[in-house]
Amino acid sequence: MTAERSDNVATLRENNPEVVEALSRRYGAGFITDIETDSLPAGLNEDIIRALSALKEEPEWMTEWRLEAYRHWLTMPMPDWAKLKLSPIDFQAISYYAAPKNRPKSLDEVDPKLLETYDKLGVPLHERARLAGVAVDAVFDSVSVGTTFRKELAEAGVIFCSMSEAIKEHPELVREYLGTVVPTGDNYFAALNSAVFSDGSFVFIPKGVRCPMELSTYFRINAGHTGQFERTLIIAEDEAYVSYLEGCTAPMRDENQLHAAVVELVALEKASIKYSTVQNWYPGDENGVGGIYNFVTKRGDCRGDDSKISWTQVETGSAITWKYPSCVLRGDRSVGEFYSVALTHHHQQADTGTKMIHVGKGTRSKIVSKGISAGKSSNAYRGLVKIEKGAEGARNYTQCDSLLIGKTCGAHTFPYMEVKNPTAIVEHEATTSKISDDQLFYCRSRGLDEENAVSMIVDGFCKQVFRELPMEFAVEAKKLLEVSLEGAVG
Amino acid sequence: MASPFVEALAAHATETLARLPGAGLAWLDAARREQLEAFVRDGLPGARNEAWKYTALRALERRAFLAGDADAASRAVDIEALRLPGVDGPRLVFVHGVFRADLSSLDALPEGLSLRPLSQALVEDAEPLRFFLSRGGEASADAFARLNAAFATDGMVLCVAPGAQIDAPVHLLQVGVPADDDLAWHARHIVELGEGASLTLVEHHAGVGAHRHLGTQVSDVVLHARSKLAWIGLQECADEALLIRRDRLRLDADAQLRLHALELGGGLARRELDAELRGEGARLDTRGAFVPRGRQHLDTRLDIRHVAKNTASDALWRGVADQRGRGVFHGAITVAEGADGTDAALSNKNLLLSPHAEIDTQPVLEIYADEVMAAHGATVGQLDERSLFYLRSRGIPVDAARALLTQAFCRAALDDLDHEALREYLGQRLVARLPGSGTDA
Repeated sequence: MTAERSDNVATLRENNPEVVEALSRRYGAGFITDIETDSLPAGLNEDIIRALSALKEEPEWMTEWRLEAYRHWLTMPMPDWAKLKLSPIDFQAISYYAAPKNRPKSLDEVDPKLLETYDKLGVPLHERARLAGVAVDAVFDSVSVGTTFRKELAEAGVIFCSMSEAIKEHPELVREYLGTVVPTGDNYFAALNSAVFSDGSFVFIPKGVRCPMELSTYFRINAGHTGQFERTLIIAEDEAYVSYLEGCTAPMRDENQLHAAVVELVALEKASIKYSTVQNWYPGDENGVGGIYNFVTKRGDCRGDDSKISWTQVETGSAITWKYPSCVLRGDRSVGEFYSVALTHHHQQADTGTKMIHVGKGTRSKIVSKGISAGKSSNAYRGLVKIEKGAEGARNYTQCDSLLIGKTCGAHTFPYMEVKNPTAIVEHEATTSKISDDQLFYCRSRGLDEENAVSMIVDGFCKQVFRELPMEFAVEAKKLLEVSLEGAVG
Repeated sequence: MASPFVEALAAHATETLARLPGAGLAWLDAARREQLEAFVRDGLPGARNEAWKYTALRALERRAFLAGDADAASRAVDIEALRLPGVDGPRLVFVHGVFRADLSSLDALPEGLSLRPLSQALVEDAEPLRFFLSRGGEASADAFARLNAAFATDGMVLCVAPGAQIDAPVHLLQVGVPADDDLAWHARHIVELGEGASLTLVEHHAGVGAHRHLGTQVSDVVLHARSKLAWIGLQECADEALLIRRDRLRLDADAQLRLHALELGGGLARRELDAELRGEGARLDTRGAFVPRGRQHLDTRLDIRHVAKNTASDALWRGVADQRGRGVFHGAITVAEGADGTDAALSNKNLLLSPHAEIDTQPVLEIYADEVMAAHGATVGQLDERSLFYLRSRGIPVDAARALLTQAFCRAALDDLDHEALREYLGQRLVARLPGSGTDA
């Protein structure tokens, strides 16, 4: 950009109170809720895991399962292959359990301060929930504080509850499926999660049921010096359908907090699971201080023929994102989809993408990834498309586009394609470009200021992914991008 | 415990080093010893090494090769059979990495062209080579680069004077022939084009008769400002030979390099091309085809770094894997901070013809500048059914139609080769490797 143009932008800012206000807008969800919490002391060892398991009144097999995962974790090295720069994580300095002191029996008893928190975040937990028509499970630090619409869902035969409850009330289902998609020793962070996961959501859609409403979990890290380790398990039996949304925020703190979640999806014959995420963990400030380290393992298993799993993610938060929602397409003619928008600004780093493992015949997958980098950030797409020998007639299409805003950011693409079947077709395309001066000039000549022009162009760039999001989420995602990009131009 | 591979090559290292050309030069001895130590210490790249993810070396680790060939100077080679059409200029021939003056043709070199074997250059004036030969400790150095730096017996030193336009193509021929043992040979080439110079270089690897030798080759290619190199590569090693090559290219301002490469031979053949476009306006075009069949494993690895402003690169590579062949392709484009105005494109399309064949392809973009146009694409699939249908509707039998389309698919890599006679010849060599040509088993 020319000096003259930067001057213009500067003047524009000075003279326009709205712009000044917009620029000073920051991470909106960065407040801390002053609430009494119960927490385990910092540190990680077998005693802590036993204490955690006891606190949650878990059965013996669950405690053993955790310990086994922990022992495996001890033997694993921290992965270093991602394009990320991070300071070493001190796993002994983290408290692995924090929960609000007054545990509510039902939603009506939930601490008003907590309700206020979710209100501020715009998550409908109470009366508004009815209007919104979305069932919500709210996870505050380590525990679920409430799940809405339970009765209505139960009538349809749907189980939607926190993981802790599921372990107590539906142990047979949990035992049958937990760890079958992401085994305890799958990777470093999955092993850690298996050992110390505190809560999460459990969804079971029985055979032939179309879940009557969208299900949603809202994750909030509040307490300092803690990590969040949630575990989500979604099972859709034959011909079942569910759409699940996930949102996350955290307060602004100078420390880096760890979030290591595991999500497992199981789709049986003709079942379909749609999983949408809007991830807005605290990204750190403009100097790269603080922010969440987000190390997540998400995997869906299309076990049945004609099943479908679709991942949609909008990633705007976290100091570090390490996340590869994947599909194992085991059933014949099963379908995997991955739609992603990842935006990084300031010093954020994202290394995200997907894996599509084609095992069954006639399996299809589609990957659309949009990366936007601004400031001094680094944004990488890393993906694997693997066609196994037996995946007769498999088909994949991948499109990866990167948009650069500014001279000091990086955008990277690391796709892997491994094809072992001659009837398969795999295609990958990627482009990298910046917002062109022509596009900007056109918008500005129509009277749009630079910020708005950029936000409009970015919105257009992401449209293909936003289209896949449920409506409320699409609106939120668009707003998030706008806020996250503020100050990126000029 | 050192593997049999390392042990065999490191045995008698002191005597081997003492026999190498240039032995006794303190800086060269030190560099060779340092590389040898690093090779013995680290051995071959392991399974967890990302750069070797798709090319496993476990089988190689258990094999032992005899270091060097004492009889290379007397082995019979029919040079007439290895001539290339339209290439009758200067010729440099190496058998198992050893220079053969009797087979070479270095008389009446055109003005401005200096062409000598490395062994001779080291005796005459070693100092200009010091920069190239004492280097090698770069971060990406692996066992093969180190082996080469420690043990290279000979190679080509080619310099074109500033402004000289050399018309006749230079033929660099490296031959492998059967021997009693599995041999390991190492060649080290240096090519330097002065400002505004131009040259056509044909790099030719030929295998005569069945053998299982291991060859390593490291080349430094330096193009000074405004120079132009047309580089044609024909790799036809014996089907069980191993050939590991690394080309390091440096392009100064407005220099242009066009590479056309056919990777046809070798049981395990890997080519790494490291290119740095470090002068404004430099341009690198690479085109190539790899055609693994039988049990061949052909690995091509491009690493193209745009460092200066307004540089351009275009890569077009085709792969066809048949029978139990495996094709591996890695094409990385890096645009460094400040390299504004970069225009980079890379395409790798592959055909998979057999249920036992495999293609692994990985195009990579790493971008640190914003005034950039960069794109890559990769596909793995089959012939277009519609094209096939069209040809059949014109009365062409299905097998012939398939063969035609496969040939057209690969020949795209040769389309813009200016040297007509070579284009035709390379096209024939390529087609002969493809199914339906009548020559495959």
